[in-house]
Order: sequence, then C-alpha cells, then structure tokens
Amino acid sequence: MWWEKKSRGAGPQDEKDASLTVVSSHPSASLADPAPRNVEMPTANYNHTVIGRSMVLHGELSGKEDLLIEGQFAGTINLPENCVTVGAGGEVKAEVRARQVIVQGAVTGNISAGEKIEIRKTGHVVGDLVAAAIAIEDGAFFKGSIDIVREQAHHAAAAAASQPVLRELE
Amino acid sequence: MMRPQTHQHAPHRSTGAGSTPGHSSPALEWIWKYLSDLPSPRIMDCGPVSQATVDVLVRRGAKIHVADLITPLLRDEAQFWDRRGKIASFRTDFFLSQLLPIAPESLTGIFAWNLFDLLPHEAHAQVAARWFSFLRPGGLLFCIVREPRLEKGSETTWWLENLTTLGSGREGTKAFAYAVVTNREVERLAPGASVKTFLTRSGRREVVVVIQGDSTTGQN
Repeated sequence: MWWEKKSRGAGPQDEKDASLTVVSSHPSASLADPAPRNVEMPTANYNHTVIGRSMVLHGELSGKEDLLIEGQFAGTINLPENCVTVGAGGEVKAEVRARQVIVQGAVTGNISAGEKIEIRKTGHVVGDLVAAAIAIEDGAFFKGSIDIVREQAHHAAAAAASQPVLRELE
Repeated sequence: MMRPQTHQHAPHRSTGAGSTPGHSSPALEWIWKYLSDLPSPRIMDCGPVSQATVDVLVRRGAKIHVADLITPLLRDEAQFWDRRGKIASFRTDFFLSQLLPIAPESLTGIFAWNLFDLLPHEAHAQVAARWFSFLRPGGLLFCIVREPRLEKGSETTWWLENLTTLGSGREGTKAFAYAVVTNREVERLAPGASVKTFLTRSGRREVVVVIQGDSTTGQN
C-alpha cells in the first residue's frame, strides 16, 4: 500500500519508530486490545497493519486488513470488512467506514461501522456515529449524533452504494 | 399507537460506589407519555455521554445527539470566562459554540439535566433561546434544578437508568456557585411555553418546558 511504502522510505529515526509499529500479533489476538506501547511483537502473517506513532498520513485508505492507528491520519478510511482501532496516541481526522471501530485516541469525523463502534475511556470523538451497536465507556468524550442501524440495513445501504459500479462493470 | 416503554433494563452504570440508587422520575414518566405517539424522537443529551442513557434511548427508538456541555462547566474551564474587566463575565457565545450544528426546529427533546444550576444566571436566557430554536413545535426541554435547601452537590451527574428512572452520581460536596433558579425564572425563559414542575425528594425539582405546537407534526 502507498502509505506502507511511505513509512518504509522514511529516515533512520523513522525506521526505528517503524520497527515499533510492526505489531503483528498472534492470529487469535485482537486489535481490540492493542499491545502496550514500546513493546515490539514478533512478526506473523496475521493481516493487520499499523500506522506508527511517528507517522503522519493524508489520503484515502482502503483494503482488507485490520488497522491500528497510533499516529496521525487525515482523509478517508474505508475498510468495510475489517476492524479499525485508533490507539491511545492516535489522532484521526477522517470519515471512517469499517466493520468495527475502536477508539482509544482522538477521532474527528463521522464513523460508520457494520457491527460495532466502541469508544474507550480515553477516547475522544467528535462526529456522527452509525452502527449496529455502540459501546461508550464512562469517561469517554463524545460529541455528535448516534444512529443505530441494523446490520441488514447497513449491508443494504452498502449494496445500494455499490450498485452503480456493478452496472458499469457489466 | 406506540405506548411508552417502561420496562426495566439492566443499567450499564450500576448503582455502585460512585452512584446513588436510581429514583423514579415523575417528569420522565410525563415526558414518555407525552411522546408516546412518536416512534423516533430526536433527543439531545447535554450531559456527559452515558452508555446507560444511550442504551435506554436507543431502545426507545430515539435518534440521539450528544453535546456534553456539563463536563466543561464542572471543570470550570477558564476559557468560558472573560477576565479582562474588573468583573469576570461569562462568555455565553463561546459556550454555545460548543454545541453541535443542529438544524432549527429539528429536535423533539433536550435533556439539559442540571445545566442551569451550573450556569451564571445572566447566561440562562441566551442558552435557553438557542435550545428552544432547536426544538420542533411541541418539543420539550427537561432539566433538573436544585431547591434552596440543597447547598452542595453541584458536581452530581445524571443519566437514564431506564425510561422513567434517573441515575445519579454520588452526591457531591462542592457548593453551588449560583443562586437557586426559581420557577418564575424558568417561566420567564420560555414565554408562551408550558412549564411543568415536578417536586422530588432529592432536593431538586424536575422541570419540563413544552414549546407550543403539536409534538407529532414534522416527525421523521
């Protein structure tokens, strides 16, 4: 992915930071509970990607991997089949669309999740939430609207959105 | 016709060390009966975001807007005060800028909780006017104001344990900074509106201000 290349092309300091961000976990592990900071974990083939603390990225992000953001990201995130976790140090200014979104850091922008949005106690969210389920811990900051939609409706909306593209392909 | 849902749900914020047992709210009972014909009321919650409140309102079918105005006031954030003069003045415009962008006449109800007790009186009229501009005809404002005998507990926070039961944090020890908000003051804030005051045993009055009009018009 373009932003992976960007991070690899960074200077020595960034390489050092990047090494911290290669947090590939055991397949059974979940991004819902990201590893403590400064703990380097062994690389594995589990499909998730980390934007490290020193990374500042702008643009459109899409794919089929879970994502942990510990750095800064601005733009749009579209991972409808995956989990996006904004770590405690993460700062995101983006429209986020994912299967599941967990916020421990700061997000400014609307969040849409097919399954669940969780705002942990350290989380700070300003934007509208649309999901099948929402969990907000005491102490979290949230400003915005909450819309609970059934997953079926969410899929229907997603399907409707993709319809023109399918027609074009045909 | 949709009946008010009054069944009990297990509260997420249980009545443990940091909270007092929930108590039945006559104002909430009145509110949900009043809104019984509305399948999807639009409610703005001006308190700290609470999972329990969100769950209760979602089960009721509500569309929820959360704009926590209480937490910054409890912290007495310096940013709300202009201290350039001899007497500090409350920056009401700046305070209101913390609100979400909400379309005029788009909300069914506003849960202001104890916000009036935390605001200087000179800010009440402007804040109330802004809130009322958000309400549809027939929309309502729900707030909790202290009785004169209650001198401490300004930091107490509130949430919904179920549709008709209020949960609250442990009664605080911090003194109220401003004088009691009287019923007459509330009536003056909403000329032409219907003001209903419910007495409780908690040392607080529950107040519902209903804007003129039919609450069922223009609902989504």
